[in-house]
Amino acid sequence: MRFPLSDHLAAGPRPSRLAPGLFWVLDAVGAVVFALGLAGAVTHLSAGVAGGPWPWLGALLAGAMLRAVSIFAATRAGASRARRLKGFLRETVFRAALRVPAGQAAPIGERAAAVVDEVEALDGWFCRFEPLSFAARISPVLVLGAIALASPISALILVGALIPFALIMALAGMMAADAARAQFEALGRLSGLFVDRVRALPVVLAFQAEAAEAALVEGAARGVARRTLAVLRLAFLSSAGLEFFAALSVALVAVYAGFNLLGLLPIPVPETLDLGRALFVLALAPEVYLPLRRLAGAYHDKQAGQAAAERLAGLLDGPAILPSAGDDLVAAPDITFEAVQLAYPGGATVGPISFTAPAGKVTVLLGASGSGKTSLLSALVGAAPLSAGEVRVNGRRLSSEGSFARSVAWAGQAPALAPGSVADNIGLGRPGASAQAIAAIATKVGLAAAMAGRAEGLATELDERGSGLSGGERRRIGLARAWLKPASILCLDEPTADLDARAEGEMIAVLGAMAEGRTVLIATHSEQVAAMADHVVRLP
Amino acid sequence: MTHSLQSLVAEQRRRQGTTLGLSALAAAVLALCAVLLMGLSGWFIAAAAAAGAGGKAAVMAFNYLLPSAGIRLLAILRTGARYGERLAGHAAALNALAEIRPALYRALARGRPEAALALSSGEASARLVQDVDAVETLFVRLSAPWAAGAALAAGLALTLLAGPGPALCLLVAMGLLLVSGRLLARRVSTEPGREVQAAVGGLKDSVAAYLAAGPDLVCYDLEDQAVAAVMTHDQRLGRAQSQVVDGEALMAVLQAVVSGLAAAAVLLAARDVAIPLAALAALSTVVALEGASGLLRAFERAGAASEAERRLDAVLIPLAEPARSPDPFGPRDLTLPVGGGVRLSPGARVALVGPSGCGKTQMLERLIGLRTENLEGLAIAGAPLARLTPDFVRSQFAYGPQDARLLTGSIRDNLRLGSPRASEAELWLALADAGLEDRVSTLAGGLDAWVGEGGARLSGGERRRLSLARALLRPSPWLVLDEPTEGLDGQTEALVIARLAQRLSRTGQGLLLVSHRPAPLALCERTLRLTGDEASLHTPANAAG
Repeated sequence: MRFPLSDHLAAGPRPSRLAPGLFWVLDAVGAVVFALGLAGAVTHLSAGVAGGPWPWLGALLAGAMLRAVSIFAATRAGASRARRLKGFLRETVFRAALRVPAGQAAPIGERAAAVVDEVEALDGWFCRFEPLSFAARISPVLVLGAIALASPISALILVGALIPFALIMALAGMMAADAARAQFEALGRLSGLFVDRVRALPVVLAFQAEAAEAALVEGAARGVARRTLAVLRLAFLSSAGLEFFAALSVALVAVYAGFNLLGLLPIPVPETLDLGRALFVLALAPEVYLPLRRLAGAYHDKQAGQAAAERLAGLLDGPAILPSAGDDLVAAPDITFEAVQLAYPGGATVGPISFTAPAGKVTVLLGASGSGKTSLLSALVGAAPLSAGEVRVNGRRLSSEGSFARSVAWAGQAPALAPGSVADNIGLGRPGASAQAIAAIATKVGLAAAMAGRAEGLATELDERGSGLSGGERRRIGLARAWLKPASILCLDEPTADLDARAEGEMIAVLGAMAEGRTVLIATHSEQVAAMADHVVRLP
Repeated sequence: MTHSLQSLVAEQRRRQGTTLGLSALAAAVLALCAVLLMGLSGWFIAAAAAAGAGGKAAVMAFNYLLPSAGIRLLAILRTGARYGERLAGHAAALNALAEIRPALYRALARGRPEAALALSSGEASARLVQDVDAVETLFVRLSAPWAAGAALAAGLALTLLAGPGPALCLLVAMGLLLVSGRLLARRVSTEPGREVQAAVGGLKDSVAAYLAAGPDLVCYDLEDQAVAAVMTHDQRLGRAQSQVVDGEALMAVLQAVVSGLAAAAVLLAARDVAIPLAALAALSTVVALEGASGLLRAFERAGAASEAERRLDAVLIPLAEPARSPDPFGPRDLTLPVGGGVRLSPGARVALVGPSGCGKTQMLERLIGLRTENLEGLAIAGAPLARLTPDFVRSQFAYGPQDARLLTGSIRDNLRLGSPRASEAELWLALADAGLEDRVSTLAGGLDAWVGEGGARLSGGERRRLSLARALLRPSPWLVLDEPTEGLDGQTEALVIARLAQRLSRTGQGLLLVSHRPAPLALCERTLRLTGDEASLHTPANAAG
């Protein structure tokens, strides 16, 4: 089966699965050396034999060391390969998750889980499954070759057992795959249910529903346990099949070698073994199957990786916000919404709606919660795609340009912050702005006064969550940034939400000053804000 | 009554005893067969070679039937034992999982409600689940010591045939492997494991912060900065994971090196015995040491599991049971520690106001039995809250919390929380009173529409109204609403308030309201003002007098 993310990964770093895979093959070489040393040492143990056991014991130890080093290197190379691939994929998925248009986006929790957990679920695929599946094609052949040098018939016996072994792996894998995937998801849902009910425990306690919810968790867990065991009974049967052929082949080789040494074989064979060759073959026989058993052990990695990759591919191939094209608009433009419609998955729509925001004036979109005010503003920057109608900015069409983000200064309720100082975050509005310009703007929006109590003032360092900032301070950073941006369109989303009447009055004064020389669109449900507008559009 | 995690786990060990015993038995048989199969095969080949070299008479005297039959029998036994071990081990783990999680949930529900409040953050609850997982993996690994023990016993028995020297070599090698494996596991697996958890938490927070950002990203070209910030956390995670992998790789190295050294030492110690016995000793030593690999993996997990147990035990602190008074009879008036103590008669409608951070929400949580500390001054029907059972206290209130937390499930699942036996009509009436009827009737599935994870498919205002409808359905004497109209537009807010007023007149329920918005305050006949510790009372009657 083709890996669902192959196309996306082709664009990134392509750390070969060769390196960790080859180290796993080297482990098989170590096994051959170890077996050689063991067989030689046993046959040269008696003092009388020329050379004595020492060189053979040396080979035995060298083989063991080679195995140790190979496994160490293979594990680390696999992990470092997985780290690079996951890093690339995480960046790609995160960018895609950021670019999903509003209204089409899965909830933040789901998208965050994709960036963190789903990418992490690919770890075993990259670091174990792929390198092991490479080694599983080479190592058995290599070991069989070594065995064939000592005893071609033993090699034939082992190949004979290898064929049903491989058939079982393939068949059992296919049969168990769907059931195992369903189980994997059921276990995931169960975990989700448990964690959800734990998070909601205060509510559950307040409603005295703890007994009912515990019973729900219990019923779900029992059901999953019962169904999982049914699947495992089958799945382990296939691994028992593998085990059986591995054990049987060792037994067959041992019995064959013994009878050959005794000269008691019922049919004549064209080889006569000696003790050294026989022991060598016996010690190596389990190693023929080891790479395949390791691969079977990575089966869960494969399942988890495949499922995660399919879900990630859905996100990566989904719709994306268009980048802003065209020149910046220098003068404040007229903005005309013509029968604009926005569609959400699930059937909800905004519009059709038509209005004009005159150049250089303040236009307020007034409407109830959920009437689509914010979505209409987002359409202007490409964050909510048009399903019908057109937006013209000085005659330029949104449907052909995709976005006017470069000409829009935006201030929402919780502005995005980058790690850095408060001043850095304001400065994002105009890269290269002087410290004085930033400080002046901060004073105008009242941020300087709000931050005066802090030792570092505007140099206070922030993380991306804005830890330590109040909601009001955070909103003022957004306003300062929008004021600083030399953009001819200003979009404000609920600039006075949650403010009391006095604070709202102060805010409206600030907004009036910011609006100068720009075409302003404000989404609000405040009549007080509507009162400052040149033009009010009431949404149904 | 104690419900520490250890007693939960111990009880499960008892209950799964048969299955765990089966799994241990199968693991022991498996290890035994593996050692015997290899040892016997080696001996058989070497002895056959000696007989073959000894001429026809020696060959005829050599009993080949028994060993060759034994080898085949062992191969079959080994297969069966492997199947039994894996199936029984997983059955025990899965059955324990099905018991431990609900038991843990019940224990949490009986414990201090403060622990439940602390667990409502995503990070804390995610860690809880990881801890539960870590404890559950213990069950799959419980058979490991038996496997190692059986392998060692079989190995010792076979090497003893070649003399005490080889047996001693095996014993020393096994001891060395287990002791150094234990030390290595302690050193490499605990600290990096913790760092991985912390790094994953940081990564998630960072990703979620930027996904919530919206148009800011395109208007201020923030995408690259967002990616850079997120990838810093990714790299921290990668470094922590490398350390974990290094630990696992070192464990494999340890096993390979000890196994090689042991094989060489056993052969040297068996120099003076017959070659078949030397072959037997060497091969069984190697396989016996392999039998310890399950135990080594269990060591790797042990650090994480014991940490997890400690953390879970801390969450499961049992609720101290003070002397309880019997549930009071009669009218359920409330006493609040505001302005020296205010007594509210049943059916009163009261607003709690005050600057943010003055403790309004916490006072509500104390009142309705979600906090057990600082209960002074709170009473129901004159009985101090600290003396009442949590069940009685909670039954007095229908709560609409500030965060409007919903259950992942359908609209109906959430409403049923308020009233498990409510009729269809009652559910729709509550939705109508919360101003959500129209919205729900347009949803595909109606009452059975899925609200997503914690209500993520609904808007903030819709979540709040569903939380309100849920509280309205609960027939308690007091309705306790924390910011019920936050995020609603004026029109919807007015509708919700009007319906609420009608409903309260109909049911005669009392109302305790926290709101910083002015409109809902119109529902209330009294306003209690909280100013941090100092609380004063303002009512129109008092102002007039």
